Amino acid sequence: MNGRKDGGVAERRGFLRALGLGTAAAAAAVAPAAAQRSDSVPAGQARKESAAERVAARYRETDHVRAFYRTNRY
Amino acid sequence: MARMKFLCDAERCIECNACVTACKNEHQVPWGINRRRVVTLNDGRPGERSISMACMHCTDAPCAAVCPVACFYTTADHVVLHDKDLCIGCGYCFYACPFGAPQYPRVGNFGGRGKMDKCTYCAGGPQQDNSHAEYLQYGSNRLAEGKLPLCAEMCSTKALLAGDGEIIATIYRERVQQRGYGSGAWGWRTAYKEVPQV
Ligand code: SF4
Ligand code: SF4
Repeated sequence: MNGRKDGGVAERRGFLRALGLGTAAAAAAVAPAAAQRSDSVPAGQARKESAAERVAARYRETDHVRAFYRTNRY
Repeated sequence: MARMKFLCDAERCIECNACVTACKNEHQVPWGINRRRVVTLNDGRPGERSISMACMHCTDAPCAAVCPVACFYTTADHVVLHDKDLCIGCGYCFYACPFGAPQYPRVGNFGGRGKMDKCTYCAGGPQQDNSHAEYLQYGSNRLAEGKLPLCAEMCSTKALLAGDGEIIATIYRERVQQRGYGSGAWGWRTAYKEVPQV
């Protein structure tokens, strides 16, 4: 993790979103390539996680994962 | 806390590119981008080896150190992810990355390259887990479903290992002891500043 204090980056760029220019405008720009995966989603569809949710651990040693480890021992 | 790592056992990789294909399909990776690639060394000569490589989710990630808009973050299980809404497509991370992992959906002399795309360890991005928005921007989130990266899970020869670094290092150590040789955990020293003890 980098040690910079960069919590402000998202906020600083948030003003674009307030103007409706942020992700929505970006999505419009890539509209000709709409058949492909989009770089950004329209602002209305964004479901951003909080800073704490982002870095929460997702890995769990489920049966599925244990089966992977087991079969890799063969 | 488990530390997620990748380990490619070069003695087993047969260069089938199943990992590359699986990844592309699972995440609907943009045209022209491969989040994972198979590299062959000494092709056609004795000692030929193939290695499957993607973002290694480095300790003290160089990409994060250079990004001017600080869009990278590292999760508690040490997956290096980035926020495409912040990325300006400057390309710095591509130059910083020792594995050439970051890629861009567009090329052009003057136009932007688009948002950087790289392996997410099948852990999505900063959108809500398994939401449509997350899928569009980053692909599926298998880690949140209690699974591991698809490339490793479907490797036909079980060359590519993923999961808890301690466990996969143990599995690799057992293999090397059993067969009596191994060419080392490729990329580990660069990415994780350590190598599995065999
Ligand atoms: S492999 Fe490259 S993109 Fe991945 S964490 Fe390391 S420096 Fe960053
Ligand atoms: S291309 Fe995007 S992620 Fe990479 S350094 Fe530039 S802004 Fe950061």
